[in-house]
Amino acid sequence: MHKPAAEAQGPAIEARNLAKVFRTARRRTGVLGVVRSLVAPEMVATTAVAEVSFSVAPGELLALLGPNGAGKSTTIKMLTGIIVPTSGEARVAGVIPYRERERNARNVGAVFGQRTQLWWDLPARESFRILRDIYGTGQAEHAARLRELDALLELSAFWDTRVRHLSLGQRVRCDLAAALLHDPRVVFLDEPTIGMDVVVKEQVRRLLRHEVEQRGRAVLLTTHDMTEVERLAERVVLINHGRIVMDGTLAEIRTRFGEGWRVHATIQGPAEPCPQGLAVLGRDGATVVFGPGAENPVTVPQALKLIIERYEVADVRVAESDLEDVMRAAYR
Amino acid sequence: MSLSAPGRGWRTARITALSDLLSPARLAGNAIRMTVQVFLVLCLWRALYAHTDVTAGLTRSMALTYAVLAVLMLQIRRADRFAARDHVFQHMHYGTIVYWYLRPLSPQRYSLWRGVGEQAYGFGWAAAGYVACLATGVIGLPSSAGAAAAFLMTFAVGQSLLYYLGLLTDQMCFFAIKNASVVLIVKFTQNLLSGAYAALWFFPAWFRSVSALLPFQYTLGVPLSLYIGRMPAADVWVQLAAALGWVVALAILTRLLWRKAAVLISAQGG
Repeated sequence: MHKPAAEAQGPAIEARNLAKVFRTARRRTGVLGVVRSLVAPEMVATTAVAEVSFSVAPGELLALLGPNGAGKSTTIKMLTGIIVPTSGEARVAGVIPYRERERNARNVGAVFGQRTQLWWDLPARESFRILRDIYGTGQAEHAARLRELDALLELSAFWDTRVRHLSLGQRVRCDLAAALLHDPRVVFLDEPTIGMDVVVKEQVRRLLRHEVEQRGRAVLLTTHDMTEVERLAERVVLINHGRIVMDGTLAEIRTRFGEGWRVHATIQGPAEPCPQGLAVLGRDGATVVFGPGAENPVTVPQALKLIIERYEVADVRVAESDLEDVMRAAYR
Repeated sequence: MSLSAPGRGWRTARITALSDLLSPARLAGNAIRMTVQVFLVLCLWRALYAHTDVTAGLTRSMALTYAVLAVLMLQIRRADRFAARDHVFQHMHYGTIVYWYLRPLSPQRYSLWRGVGEQAYGFGWAAAGYVACLATGVIGLPSSAGAAAAFLMTFAVGQSLLYYLGLLTDQMCFFAIKNASVVLIVKFTQNLLSGAYAALWFFPAWFRSVSALLPFQYTLGVPLSLYIGRMPAADVWVQLAAALGWVVALAILTRLLWRKAAVLISAQGG
């Protein structure tokens, strides 16, 4: 099986001005309030996602990043067809997912964190057979895909164990296999490696690279693991408060939000207030970590000059901020 | 429900049986539970008939046969979906309900196949118990060939009704995530008004009149009354018509609720 020519096809995922507004009843406090809430509930509208637009090409892995409650999962649920957007439009493999749920289901695979789609009381391999029946996959095709996934995820060591007895890492690997067995063109992964150890995480990353590079699948990944993003994502969409903050490469995000530096200075003498344009990000004994301030941030040479002028410096080191720092700045 | 859904989704009907067959402890538990229940029910009804031969138009042997068959019929919906974590309540609670909407097998069709499989599997247990009870003389044969035919017809329709009643309580989970209280109330009401605890013939006339307006007695009380001959076989058509009316009404209602649930999943899907 070959990777399809990405440029010859349209986007695998296309979101245009997607918005989702939830209407929920506001709970009042106190006994009287509870009664009033029951009799005449006060409805409030909460915008979970607003004007979200982006696309993902076949053979591309896009990381959808943002703090908790940013709207990542809601976006994924709209793209998988589970929920209907309040406005805007989505197309996944050419299908409007929330209008043709069953047709869309054949094109997509999904893993939602630690929520398993496997049957708890059955061995994982039996769950795979049930999914084969549901998707109508041929026996030979199913066996071939299972062999391929076994080679990547080492499933055969435990696939005859009942799901309730699998470890978290084993179960998530089985869930990833379950999401890929029907050969979907698009894969949605909502924090698939949460709570997993480094060995399993690496195994999952290898699988994802294989699926994207060799099989040409479009993958939309949400994660809080920045190592995962650095190793896998070609492109990143940052979302916060339901809106896209940025859509670009990792390098572009570093340029925009990273401010690119940290100064670790070992300081002697009395403590002095932090110079303007700088911020103290941390302390470890006599070592103070400086970064750019929130207002009028300075460049590295300016920062070094300010630090040396203000403090008695015994040692100084300049470091590039890592992706976690960049994301912290982006989420602020 | 999409009629064009390809695949072999019907094979999901075997999940309940497969789960139990892979768990010898659960199989043994089922057998022990059924045996103990039959034994205790026999003790109870023998004690109740110790000083009388006929009550509420039921002879001792009719009452014993009714009570034991009621226990056996209850096995049909006893599969432990909670243990298998495949109950709608659990899927809503854990957020795994989203996967029901991510497969080319609609939730209603999946639910239907699971229900059919569960009832067929439960029927296997009930049938095995029936043969064992018949062989040991605990229960008697149908009162006549006509009664047997009437029983089989009303039993089949009663099973459809049973499926829809179960589905209705499952669907409540989409509207109130925790429906444990509803399930308990419905379960008790269903058992009482279907005549599972005691044949409705023992209740006062007003109680029977009220229960005749509800669907529950068609799932158990009516078929068993026909079996033992307490209800004339000639009444079967009226009973069947009423039961089928309920099946159609519940089929329409549950279909509407599936549509509503598909919208609500947005708020409660986890």
